[in-house]
Amino acid sequence: MRRLILIGLVIAVCWFAADLANAAELRIPQSPVAGQAFSIGTSGSGDGTFYLVGPGTSVKRKIRLGEDVQVKGEEVRNAGRWVAIVRGSGGPQSQVFFVKPGKAATINFSARPSRVPVARPDSVSGVAFIFDKFHNFILDPTPVKFSLSVAGTTTSHNVNSKEGVAYINSSSAAKAGAAQFVATVDDVSVNRVVEQVASDPCNLRMHVVGHEKDQIIVQTDPIRDCTGNAVPDGTIVTFTETDNSGRSVVDARIKKGIARALLPASNKATIAVAAGVILGNELHVGGGE
Amino acid sequence: MKVRRLIILTLGLAIAFSGTLPLLKRIFADTKPIVQLNIASTTPRAVEDSTQQAIVRDYSAAWQGMGTALANNSIGPLNENFTGYALDKLTERVKEQTQNGLKTRIVDHGHKVDAIFYSSDGSAIELKDTATLETQVLDGDTVIHSDQSQVHYYAVMTGAEDRWKVRVLESTQ
Repeated sequence: MRRLILIGLVIAVCWFAADLANAAELRIPQSPVAGQAFSIGTSGSGDGTFYLVGPGTSVKRKIRLGEDVQVKGEEVRNAGRWVAIVRGSGGPQSQVFFVKPGKAATINFSARPSRVPVARPDSVSGVAFIFDKFHNFILDPTPVKFSLSVAGTTTSHNVNSKEGVAYINSSSAAKAGAAQFVATVDDVSVNRVVEQVASDPCNLRMHVVGHEKDQIIVQTDPIRDCTGNAVPDGTIVTFTETDNSGRSVVDARIKKGIARALLPASNKATIAVAAGVILGNELHVGGGE
Repeated sequence: MKVRRLIILTLGLAIAFSGTLPLLKRIFADTKPIVQLNIASTTPRAVEDSTQQAIVRDYSAAWQGMGTALANNSIGPLNENFTGYALDKLTERVKEQTQNGLKTRIVDHGHKVDAIFYSSDGSAIELKDTATLETQVLDGDTVIHSDQSQVHYYAVMTGAEDRWKVRVLESTQ
């Protein structure tokens, strides 16, 4: 009789233990996607509490054990590591799972620099970080198209993002102007403006255009860089006159594409012109030219 | 009489231990996590020594701040170390934890971090982190979940006024 009771007790304990073990077993879908609703299967019976803890979210609500728990899309907007926990009459049961990001919807695009001389190799850099619409980082390789357009000419580069980031280093275009630097993923585009300005003046030349009382007027030809872009107005051009009595220097700003200066008239002088580190022609006036 | 003394002494020791252990645990948890940074394969720009030191310091501080924020449901430590999407998400989590009476305790056993991208202008760096973490979820003071695992994280840090801040922090499988 004792033995029978003992066997009965062992069976009852095992049954109870199995029941406890099954009390709140969780069944979670393989790869839930951020922002998409799914259900978590539970087992057992009676009332329980359901917890969902993950990046950016912490949910707690009452549930009926044995019924599926509906997880709303808005509750799992963040990709990453999550823990689902169910507390019933027995000990809490939990399961770790991962939520994947959705499709690309946001590009964090930075373009450097904001202003660059034309035709300069590897001078423009673009970096694009790819996110879904809930700002989850998309780590799977994603094709990104970078294009740089100015004055009707466009150069494009296709790059696959690697671990969430795609980047290029590009040469600036030959034409000056506000270049549109665009990063595109599927139908999402982000635009940045890179101001491409003329490079250093090329073939800087001046000539005498007249005299005024005791002064001589010198003027440059239209000042352009080596690819034909007009050097911006306001750029300083330096005229230097050297004669027996010493040196006169005039800094003149480019106005409407040319620079002009009044220098003291001299019987015999040499006039030089320069813009930045670029030297132009020399004129010999008075006894010379 | 002797037995009674022994019982009292044992009880006293037990109480002392039960108080000291969580205290030691908390002190341990408040220290900065260890971050080992590898910059051997960073592209397109090499990481400078000073940047390397700053990243180790600030990434470690960010994890410490996140641990404190999630354990105490306080937003302060987040603002110091996070910005952008990472700050938004963690702030939301702390708010929801507070509403639901939950806390998350992270015991951080260290991070092995590879710097995989450092932008040409030096303004952003992407890190790939293998973190060894012990995570506990508490409802009130009851531990309802506990696990210890290696978790992979991707982080993007950007330069802020006086430090690097974590702008993106996402765990992956």
